[in-house]
Amino acid sequence: MNELIAVMVILPIASALFLNFLHEKDRTIKILAIVTAFVLPVLALIAPFGTHYFGGYVPLAQNMTIGQDLPALITNTQLFQFHPGIVYIFNSAQQLLIFVLCLIAFLAIFTSLNETKRPSGVYAFLMFMGTASISAILLSDDIFNLFVFFEIAALAQVGIIVASGIKNNYETALKYTLLGNIAGPLLLLGIALLLGLTGNVNITDIIYSLKHGLVNPYSPAILMALGLITFGWMYASGLPPFHTIKSAVYSKALPHGAALLQAFSVFSMVAIGIILLRMFSYIPFTKTAIIGISLLAMVLGITMAIVQTDFKRMLGFLAVGELGYIGIGLGLGTAFGITAGLFQAVNEAIITAFLFIGFGTVLYKTRTADTRKLGGMMFVNPRLALLVLLAGFAMAGVPPLNAFQSKLMLIQASLQSGLPELGIIMILLSIVTFMTFMKAFYTIYMRPKPADLKILDNKIPRSTIISMVVFLIICVILGLFPQLATNSLQTLAAGLV
Amino acid sequence: MVIDSQLMSFFTAGSLIVIGIFAALFLDNLIKKIIGLAFLADGVNLFIITMGYKAGGIVYIFMPNMTISNFAQNASYPLPFALVLTSIVIGASTLAVMLGLVIVLNKRHGSLSASKILGDKGE
Repeated sequence: MNELIAVMVILPIASALFLNFLHEKDRTIKILAIVTAFVLPVLALIAPFGTHYFGGYVPLAQNMTIGQDLPALITNTQLFQFHPGIVYIFNSAQQLLIFVLCLIAFLAIFTSLNETKRPSGVYAFLMFMGTASISAILLSDDIFNLFVFFEIAALAQVGIIVASGIKNNYETALKYTLLGNIAGPLLLLGIALLLGLTGNVNITDIIYSLKHGLVNPYSPAILMALGLITFGWMYASGLPPFHTIKSAVYSKALPHGAALLQAFSVFSMVAIGIILLRMFSYIPFTKTAIIGISLLAMVLGITMAIVQTDFKRMLGFLAVGELGYIGIGLGLGTAFGITAGLFQAVNEAIITAFLFIGFGTVLYKTRTADTRKLGGMMFVNPRLALLVLLAGFAMAGVPPLNAFQSKLMLIQASLQSGLPELGIIMILLSIVTFMTFMKAFYTIYMRPKPADLKILDNKIPRSTIISMVVFLIICVILGLFPQLATNSLQTLAAGLV
Repeated sequence: MVIDSQLMSFFTAGSLIVIGIFAALFLDNLIKKIIGLAFLADGVNLFIITMGYKAGGIVYIFMPNMTISNFAQNASYPLPFALVLTSIVIGASTLAVMLGLVIVLNKRHGSLSASKILGDKGE
């Protein structure tokens, strides 16, 4: 038993609920939010690896004092092995993923509290609830528990959009909720089919039932469950056909909110993707389907980013396109490929958050995200422009930054798997990403300032610059020492093969 | 002719799911869309409850006069019911959020038409 594992989810929820009640107590909100947000990544680092059984319900086989009084009807069956309660698993991969998620949450909250005139307890509540939900999704070995937090995360995301006050944000929020209310019940239907067939919602137990022939692993109901869970995965991640609404969601949130929202999508994609691989990788077309959907996301996301005139929308589409790289890594199905995919997920979450906060400074100074109205921002603050440029280089995979390492690993993995065409597509799309970013960078920063563009006198808060520098440092460290991340991910990846 | 109650329940659940998806996708009125989504969620909940049904089974509460063997053989499976309870709570929350958003948008646009309100504005 490891109580700290549960605290990683309970602490942000408790803080969120408390912050929600602190209306108009600005200083208290600020202190409590920053302290909690700082503790979360630290908690991920200090928590020992292991398993947490909620309520102490270990499998009967591990608790003979209870098991010995039960009739043979139970003890002679597989019921003895199964997990009767919710289980959270925390290993090196979960540690890295939750650490990065919580670090992005900390920097987003830190930035938001200093960029807004009056800190909002409700906004902090939404950010913490979302972070808690995605942490739970990463930790949970219970597929129904995952569904519950999937729904809470969706509601938190809707709240973050509504809180932004950006034009047409309610329309986007409603559209996202309507789609979520189709995807959510269909995901639950997939879970229900697995429950009906195996009698379980614990993922380890479902896999046990599938592998030991307790149920027919190729029954139509299992295939339908695979399809329905994949549909939920596509919604949570923003993969096609949800790429348009997902990029709209990012563009209707404030930059720090968008930085966190994209991290939610990346880690939801990883968590549910891992579950799909754990449960269904024996079905031949599972991996092919993951690669197909991911390729579509890459091509649609990156090509749609080129034509955008709103830089937040452009970043949203680029973020969706980058998700495709993660999916390709997972879909290759080799230990090296999965490690590369997970490493790409870590990098993408950091770089996209970096870009949203970086470009957010332009919005802060000009109150517009329309690239047609922008220009000359390089001369307003050259250091910030340099930071944004480096973030763009990182996303495109320019060495020695982090995404270079993960994209190189992905290309190597595709070659090893006998799929060189995937490597070629990834290289070409990285070039297109670079061109898209440079076009936006030139328009916003380098071309002459339009005469009618008003640049406000408000100073960029120091917290925003600190956040960007922290992101840059991480990009450089992971670029120079990729083994810091890949060593943590290898065990999980090897277990999925 | 005796109709199997579990089969009928599955059929009802399936009908609710299909009607719900149809309403959510093809009806223009936002309130009707939301009702369709409620149908979809209720259909899935009914499907789960039906799976937990056991003909001739007993309620899964261990009473003092029961033996463990008797209880284990006859009690219906409690997990689906526990899951549905949680699912209903989640469904109520999301329904409240959707209706709240529709109220705001109706005040702004003076309409409940999805094509008028959402159009391409949400994207």
